[in-house]
Parts: sequence; structure tokens; C-alpha cells
Amino acid sequence: MRPEFQIILRRLLEIILGVLFGYAGYLKLFHADEFAEAVLAYQLLPPGLVGLVSAVLPGLELAAGFFLALGLKRRSCLMLLGFLSGIFLLAMLITLARGLKIDCGCGLFFSRQVGLGPILEDGLLVFWAAGLYYWELMVAATEPPLVAAARPDF
Amino acid sequence: MNRIGFKGSTAAVLSRRLVAQDLAWAGVILLLAAVLGIWQQWQLVRLSWTGALPAHLEQQREQRRKVEFQGVKTLNLPQTYEIFQGGQALFVDTRDADEYAELHITGAVNLPSDLLERQGNRVLEGIARGRRIVVYCGLANCNKGLMVAEKLQSLKFTNVSAFMDGFRAWDQAGYPAETNK
Repeated sequence: MRPEFQIILRRLLEIILGVLFGYAGYLKLFHADEFAEAVLAYQLLPPGLVGLVSAVLPGLELAAGFFLALGLKRRSCLMLLGFLSGIFLLAMLITLARGLKIDCGCGLFFSRQVGLGPILEDGLLVFWAAGLYYWELMVAATEPPLVAAARPDF
Repeated sequence: MNRIGFKGSTAAVLSRRLVAQDLAWAGVILLLAAVLGIWQQWQLVRLSWTGALPAHLEQQREQRRKVEFQGVKTLNLPQTYEIFQGGQALFVDTRDADEYAELHITGAVNLPSDLLERQGNRVLEGIARGRRIVVYCGLANCNKGLMVAEKLQSLKFTNVSAFMDGFRAWDQAGYPAETNK
């Protein structure tokens, strides 16, 4: 694959991922009560921490997604989004194993129950973020110093 | 060979340094997000810390439902049981087929919301438009019952109500239930 094409493909995948998470974070931040209900329903956190987590997670999705889409600190954003998706995947797997029938709190456009569909989707997001992170890291670690210095990275 | 090995180890050292840098910046972004989120949702954080969050969420949910499903008539547990004893109403269970099969209100039919969306009027053939229908789902906080009740109203069913406490409350009260298993 030609290097220019690789750069375009990588940025495109990052922008799509950033916009997805940014939009999801925006929805959760401005529908905070509904998101807090979803967090509470998982029954994985002490009640005193539900509010804090419900406040911080959407902010994190919004900030990391926004920065990633803009191309700022891309690897750090990918690291955060991959980690968030991984934690969420774990929470859904635990919920499924416990047999709880709850809203996953993950629907961008409509509410859905925890199940195989949301788990596979979230697995894809983990793979997407981790794959892009690895790709970015390899490029940064192997490119000659002069090229790295000339690259318009933030 | 030596040259390749040297390059490889340099890249590995560089990778470790880059990962450390990435972690540091991830911490900065996390801090920024935490400040943004807590500032925006301070009330939620405070309510949760003081233990008042579940009551607040329930109140907010009720308000949202009143606005979103304002045209749907609602019933509580005693009202629903009274209608059940009358024996004329059709009870509609909107939970998934497996939950319905396990236990449901005696005589209820299963109509998950996605089935109604997919098949529309076809699943309702033979039911008189004026018949009394009571729709319910599993828990007091689920919206499926209200959604299906609203959909039935839009399909010209004129006597539809939603039982708000859900099947769990019915079962816990010891009211009649049956299983298909």
C-alpha cells in the first residue's frame, strides 16, 4: 500500500472513531440522568460513585473523541478510547453472565438491551482503537527522526 | 543482521518512551474530561454522594415519561388487578419471548415491541379496536409497555392502558401468573 494512502486511511479511521465517540459522549453528557440510570442498572459500582462515573465518562468520550477527530494527541486519545471500550465490554460480559436484562446505555440513536449485538459492536471498537494505536505507534517508532520532526503532529 | 538488530532494539526503546508519553498525555486528557464532566454534572455527583440519586432519577424518569407518553393512560397495581378480576381485558406482555414463556400474567399474550414494529397490524388481526387492552413490561422503569401502548393507540385501538409497576410487582404481590414451560 502506498504511504500516502496509508496516512489517509489511518486519519480517516481516526476521524470516524473520534466522531462516533464524540457524539456518544455529547449525547450522554446532555442526557446525564438517563445515562446515570443505565450506570446504576449495571449494579457494578457503589451508589456513591455512580454520579461521579456518570459525569466523567461522557466528558472523557467527548474530549478524547474530539481531540482524535482534530488530530491532537492521537495515540493518547486512542489509548483512552480503547481502554474505555474494554472496560465497557467487561461490564457487559459480567452483566450477561449475571442474567440481568438491562438497557446497555450504549445506543447512539436508540436504547438496546445488553446482549450479543452490543458486545460484538464494542469488541469491534476495542479492536479498532487498539489496532490504530499500534499502527500509529509503529509508524512513530520506526520513522527517521528528521521525518518525525517535519511531520505536522501535535 | 547486526544493523537490523540494532534498528529493532532502537525502535523498541523508542516505542516504550512513546508509550510513556502517551500515558502521560492520556492522564492530562482524563483530568480535563473529569473537570468538564464534574463541572457540567455537579448536581448528579452531589446527589449520588449523599445517597439521593435513585429517588432523583425516578422523579426525572416520571417527568420524562409524562412528556414523552402524555397521551397514554396509566394504571397502578391495584387498578390493574381490579381490571384483571373483571375478566374482560386483554393483557399484553411486551417482554422478550423467553421471559414471557417463563412466567406471565394469566391469559396474557406476548407482543414484544420489535415484533410490533416489524409486523405492525398483522399481529393484531382479530382483536376488536374497542377492546380493553392493558400493556405491561418487566419493571417499573422500563418504557416498552408505554411504547407499545402508544403504538396501539396509533393503530386506532381506543381503550389501551399501560400497567406501570411491571410484571415483577405483579408477581411479588402473588397475583395470578402462568408459565408456558
